[in-house]
Amino acid sequence: MTDHQWSELAAPYALGALASDERERFEAHLAECAACRSEVQALREVAVLLADAAPAATPPSGLRDRILREARQIRLIGHGRAPIVPWLAVAASLVLALGLGYMYVRERGTLQRVSAALAERDSLIATVFSPDVVTAALTATGKPPSARLYWNPSRHRIVMAVFHLPPASAGRTYQLWAIAQGKPVSLGVFNTAADGRLTAAMDVPPGLTFELTAVTEEPAGGSPAPTQQPFLIGKVAAD
Amino acid sequence: MAGGDERALGDLYDRHGEMAYSLALAVARERADAEEIVADAFGQAWRNAASYDPGRGSVAGWLATITRTRALDLVRARGRRARAMERAAQTDSDGLASSMGAAADSPDRRIERGEARRLVARSLGELPDPQRRVIELAYFGGLSQSEIAAELREPLGTVKTRMRAGMQKLRGSLAALLSGGGS
Repeated sequence: MTDHQWSELAAPYALGALASDERERFEAHLAECAACRSEVQALREVAVLLADAAPAATPPSGLRDRILREARQIRLIGHGRAPIVPWLAVAASLVLALGLGYMYVRERGTLQRVSAALAERDSLIATVFSPDVVTAALTATGKPPSARLYWNPSRHRIVMAVFHLPPASAGRTYQLWAIAQGKPVSLGVFNTAADGRLTAAMDVPPGLTFELTAVTEEPAGGSPAPTQQPFLIGKVAAD
Repeated sequence: MAGGDERALGDLYDRHGEMAYSLALAVARERADAEEIVADAFGQAWRNAASYDPGRGSVAGWLATITRTRALDLVRARGRRARAMERAAQTDSDGLASSMGAAADSPDRRIERGEARRLVARSLGELPDPQRRVIELAYFGGLSQSEIAAELREPLGTVKTRMRAGMQKLRGSLAALLSGGGS
């Protein structure tokens, strides 16, 4: 491809309109072409301004309060203010995804995989395959570790599947929290096997409802309240 | 914002909430979805304030990017893009820009921002319709060039040419708002 042909990709690239293979090739080119990078930078600024061309709409009156309320809730998961760490950004995408049913199909696929792995563990399966089961995907940075929760409110049980989480070191444990009205409530402590995996069921105090779940690392035996920032977090959502 | 305090989040919303909501609605086309998208986008902005790099653009642009990404994710995941596309394609030649008359008149907390909006709306509105439509389908519809070509039943090469030409024209007419040009 000539330089000229490459530069023709800058506009669709800035608009996110290249097919993925084309985008990858162009990004490889961008890594070594300052002229194209500068072209992309300028056109990206143009693209960003297009947001202003959306027909003006007035947000619902409660939206501001909701945003502040949700921010407070997240902050209460850990100590003090929200940490500025990448896992929260990923959690945010999952929060949206789950909240909006985006993960519906994927969650169902996971449920099936989990059920296959646990074929002999009937109580776990019964918990997971309840019509009223609620799920949460907990993640760190989009890469390992991650965890999935299946909360069965009528059985007051949670089944948790953890992946790629190295076992806690001696004297330490992992602790799962439900965030109920901004307050962390311990659901139990756990540790993973040498392969970094764990599937476990935990009891949920009857009557407890919660919107968020989080995992922290704590001293062995667990803590009455989190002593660290959670490294996994996820919002629960009806399937 | 990087301080993460709640008032900063409220201020951010007061300044940019309407822009984000309008954008989310333009992409997702459902009010309930737009509300979710905006709540999530601001949550992400708040939690992730340190990732905002003033050297790379305005706060409004940063928020717009987060909001648009969220909105397109949702639309794609719902498989609703096809329908959104249809509607966008059916949108008469006025397209989105035509409703900007109202947008331009809506009260804005910042005069400069209101002026910027008017300039963007006018610049987009002044593009030849075919150029404007491919840009709108890419930005608000999240469509790739080949998807746009299929949607509009135009040759891919035509779509590419229109997109390039339209973006270059916008770059010229919006120079005052871009870091490389104007004031």
